[in-house]
Amino acid sequence: MPRFPSEAWFAAVAQIFNGDERYQGAGGGQCSCRAGVVVSAPDNAPKDVFVLTFDGKECLGGERADAEALADVDFYMHMPLKDWQAMLGDIQAHGHATADHTLNSLDLSREDGLATSVHGDQYREDLFFRYNQTLQFFFDASAHIKTAA
Amino acid sequence: MAKNDAKAAPRAKARSAPAKSANGKKQRAQAKSSAKRVEEIGGGGTNILTAVPEPKYDWMNQSRQWGVRVKPGKKGLTLGSLNVGIYGEVPDEWRDQSRNPRGAIPRRDMPPVGYAVREKAAMWADGAADLYEEAIQRRWAPATDVPWDTIEPLPDDVERAVCQVCTELCQYANIDIEAISRWQCQMAYGYHEVKQYLATATFDAARHYEAFRKRALYNGGGLGLEGPGEVNRMIIESDGGWTETVAYLFLLRGTFTMTLLRYLERFAHNDAERQIYARVIEDKARHLAYGVEHLQYSIGHIQEQANVLATVLFIGDRIFARDLRDPVLREAAAIIFGHGVEGARATGLDTWDAMMRDFVASLQATCKWLGIPRSAAGMPAALKRYLPPGSGEDAPLTGTDVASAAAP
Repeated sequence: MPRFPSEAWFAAVAQIFNGDERYQGAGGGQCSCRAGVVVSAPDNAPKDVFVLTFDGKECLGGERADAEALADVDFYMHMPLKDWQAMLGDIQAHGHATADHTLNSLDLSREDGLATSVHGDQYREDLFFRYNQTLQFFFDASAHIKTAA
Repeated sequence: MAKNDAKAAPRAKARSAPAKSANGKKQRAQAKSSAKRVEEIGGGGTNILTAVPEPKYDWMNQSRQWGVRVKPGKKGLTLGSLNVGIYGEVPDEWRDQSRNPRGAIPRRDMPPVGYAVREKAAMWADGAADLYEEAIQRRWAPATDVPWDTIEPLPDDVERAVCQVCTELCQYANIDIEAISRWQCQMAYGYHEVKQYLATATFDAARHYEAFRKRALYNGGGLGLEGPGEVNRMIIESDGGWTETVAYLFLLRGTFTMTLLRYLERFAHNDAERQIYARVIEDKARHLAYGVEHLQYSIGHIQEQANVLATVLFIGDRIFARDLRDPVLREAAAIIFGHGVEGARATGLDTWDAMMRDFVASLQATCKWLGIPRSAAGMPAALKRYLPPGSGEDAPLTGTDVASAAAP
């Protein structure tokens, strides 16, 4: 039972995501981007950093990285651990994210937003919206694994 | 040839054989007359059915570059990957006035087609080919990809508000279709990546119209009031060039629509609405990506373009502010955000204001990134009120502000 966040957790979710064709249609599909997943410390500094890579129809998994790696990703999503856990709990309970826990809702409702970038390149930052369903499908796929507390 | 003749002969004989009937004489005369005519047309007894000249295949050696071989990558055989050799040469100006596909050999005797937009800087975005593939590969169908059965009866005020917002979003989608197709047919064929991407953007908008209309008519409601439409008219009637239309359609209206959709997704009442908004957000994000990339390219290649766009937006802001005077969209959205009329008063209108702050911040951020000079002093009060406190009256004036201040 992998713990969030960990390379094992991302690999387990990627396996579900890559193996289910429902995640490729209906607004999902081809996707090429590198997205950071950041667990923030209380002072908002990156505490745990993972780089999630999507290539074609596949997620290649999430690799642990250091904060400097965030300069190279298209965008990164950052929240304290308790908020990530609340999102994953909602997904586990409903089979997918609902109302306040979709990536879009979290980006709107959080004071610092959810998605941002180091480089400030608007075109790359906007991949968060262009591939939003794929990202949502990816996290929704975590409903099919057990995440260790 | 001989083989064909051998096959054709019995059929011809069968057709001309005299029928054994009372009309036989007449038919025999007709057949004789027809045979004579065939002989005349064919010239000297040649059967016209086999009068195909010996092929020379001269056209086979006509290619500007032969031997091209492109291999599919992880995304398949993409439009952008075909840009190799001469086929990847995209000139700054497309002088050819025909429908000649880029890389083909033009005919010499073609009358000009008369495309008005023939400069790369007037339409180009480096990512257009990728956006085209993305639009095709990430398409969705409102009929089957939306879980319509998750829509349950809503309180009357909320249903009316949802239907009203869907009505206005249908209008926005219509404007997308009209504005894009109006310019697309004026763009030269040399920039097929842009023309093809814009074809998908038009189709996206058709899908948005479909989805919002379906939502309005699904749950016992119907369409509401037509929106004020001054911005619509501004977009449709912008004649200064496609880039000006892009500034109005994608940057100004597009950023607003995107922000509205994001809030609608957040406050959706069921999975069907949530999924409609979420999927339209992806489509709109592509439209914005093209728009922003095109404006960036245009600014990088046309002198003073950033200042020209500042003036374009200076005008657009004011027309946008006039549309905001109409309370219908604001009230309907506030009812959705507040889950009813009472909620609209309590929190919905505040949420609308928060949405407007996000819209203005997003628009300002994009303009700043593009290098389009904007200042709070130059904004109409209806938009300025949504700027963060202290962000502006002391901002440097642009040339536009000075010009407008001096105007009578």
